[in-house]
Amino acid sequence: MKKLLNAAAAVALVVSASAANAETSMGIVVKIGGIPWFNAMEEGIKERAAELGVSAEMIGPTSADPALQVRAIEDLIAKGVDVIGVVPNDEAALEPVLKKAMEAGIKVVAHEGPGLNNVDWNFELASADGFGEAHAKLLCEKTKEPGTFAVYVGSLTVPLHNAWADAGIKWIAENCSDKLKPVGDRYGVAESVDDSRSTALDLIAANSDLRGFLAFGSQGPIGAGRAIEERRLGGKVHVMGPFSPGQGQKLLKNDVISGGFMWNPAEAGRVFVTMGNMLVEGQEIASGTKIEGLGVVEPDAATRNIITDNLLEINKSTVDDLAAKGL
Amino acid sequence: MRDVFRTYPVEARLSVVLLSVIAVLSVMTDTFLTLGNITSLLNNNAVNLIWAVGLLVVLITGGIDISFAVAASVVQYVAAQIFMAVGGGNWAIGFAIAAGLGIGLGLINALLIHGFRVISIVITIATFNAFFGLLMFFTRGRNIYDLPDWWTNRVFIFERQAADGTWSELNLSVAVMVACVLATWILIRLTTLGRQLYAFGDNPEGARRAGVNIWQMQVVAFGWCGMMAGIGGLMQVNIAQEVVPNALYGRELDVLAAVVLGGARLGGGRGTIFGCILGVMFVAITQNGLNLLGISPFAFQMIIGAAILVAISSSNLSFRLRGRAEPVEVAP
Repeated sequence: MKKLLNAAAAVALVVSASAANAETSMGIVVKIGGIPWFNAMEEGIKERAAELGVSAEMIGPTSADPALQVRAIEDLIAKGVDVIGVVPNDEAALEPVLKKAMEAGIKVVAHEGPGLNNVDWNFELASADGFGEAHAKLLCEKTKEPGTFAVYVGSLTVPLHNAWADAGIKWIAENCSDKLKPVGDRYGVAESVDDSRSTALDLIAANSDLRGFLAFGSQGPIGAGRAIEERRLGGKVHVMGPFSPGQGQKLLKNDVISGGFMWNPAEAGRVFVTMGNMLVEGQEIASGTKIEGLGVVEPDAATRNIITDNLLEINKSTVDDLAAKGL
Repeated sequence: MRDVFRTYPVEARLSVVLLSVIAVLSVMTDTFLTLGNITSLLNNNAVNLIWAVGLLVVLITGGIDISFAVAASVVQYVAAQIFMAVGGGNWAIGFAIAAGLGIGLGLINALLIHGFRVISIVITIATFNAFFGLLMFFTRGRNIYDLPDWWTNRVFIFERQAADGTWSELNLSVAVMVACVLATWILIRLTTLGRQLYAFGDNPEGARRAGVNIWQMQVVAFGWCGMMAGIGGLMQVNIAQEVVPNALYGRELDVLAAVVLGGARLGGGRGTIFGCILGVMFVAITQNGLNLLGISPFAFQMIIGAAILVAISSSNLSFRLRGRAEPVEVAP
């Protein structure tokens, strides 16, 4: 059915393209479809595409599997899009197919993939260090009694989550080690509410001095929060992490999740389209270029990274507005 | 003892392995054998076990069902829509609707398998994709957080606060699990229908000639599995407090592995409730133990895989040794 619709859309595209000289087309492959974060990103993509008069679609695989992303990108190459956007599950797994895309003359824009080589640009709305440290600082502030903390990442191979985790753990080791010690290694469960919840229950059982979670990965804070709610430890064990405000609104208000930072996934979606369009139009991105949604940028030409700090704090006073935006 | 090992070799060996795992964990951690940990193990695995006993009935009849976990997701979504339409509902209506929808989806499988005489793995892989595809198409991947209160409010069947202030509790899903396990046990052990399920699974042609109604067997097996899928889906929402279309995707293989580990034969005709419970417990306790021991998560998959291999191969190994060195296996 979906194929049929895509085919119909492709026909419609061909028709409209021949009318308005070859409309720019973009395909953006994200980690996984059907979760609020990427639903919001899709809205941003659609909105910006309509403003710029280009066509852009988002593709979300059914599970957070690098192989599914590779297949989706191959489909886009075959379809002959002008720009491919990607939010990688596993950077290394995507390099060959992204190389193939670039060789086919397709512009490649990545987000949350700072280590990727075969891209025109990778952009971040938060620097890995800044983001990890912001959460670590908040956890340190909230913690009253000395104890331990656990770290979640989306999966052990998600590069950015691990970079945040590294920065957060390092910050705590340097600035807060009198209060907090890490427990275990990091746990790769944070893309699933069920796994995050049951791992949190296990960790709470195993460590009576557990004071908090640094949960990087969209479902991690929610799952850990549910466990804390069940164990009635709200206010004693603190969960920090980026989460979808609509999903975590109740938990934040019940003091089960203590807070976190995020960037706006809809804004990231808009930046994908803005940058894709700039690249297709041949605009140079250099130091001092102003890109809508990123501000004035300082791109790193060697690593192809554009890193900015556009953090949004999620707390009791901001959560309602953010949730109302559909996040 | 000898008889138990002969009649239920897999179950008996698996329980020995499981008991040794439990013994090791109780010695190496002071947190494994605590009320808090045991209750959370039960809470976390109630839904898996509900699905497992449903799947067991299908395996006994020689079939396999890949579609039940996404069927549970479909039930969650459709049930959520129905509850909104009727303005709320309650647990009684919830169970009736979830079980009814589940049976309906199971009967689609039964109808296709019996009608086209195609083996169940092909049909259920097809319905797995069809159910999931339709679900993603109609929901556009949207989650539902705004659910009726009765559905998301936690219901405790047991709660206790320990001296150090920590809470232990069992939630409704555990009670539902016990009911589902009992009902399945009655079905396959105490009824004529149950005996026929085993006979049909062991030798379909023989059973048919002996007068067993084959259509009825498929209906019972897949209908039962579908019903358990629906009830499991209902309880999963009670725990996760949200309906996410791809939350259960992939769970079918975990459950299938646990049931087969517990001695149910993929060819049909063999499998017990006890084995099923052991299989689910084994996987759950291994995972739980790794967390409690503070082992690096990078090694989790490797250790769980190895543990399953040991559990399966040790059952064959001690089977061969039986007769000569029998008391040895009972010793640990």
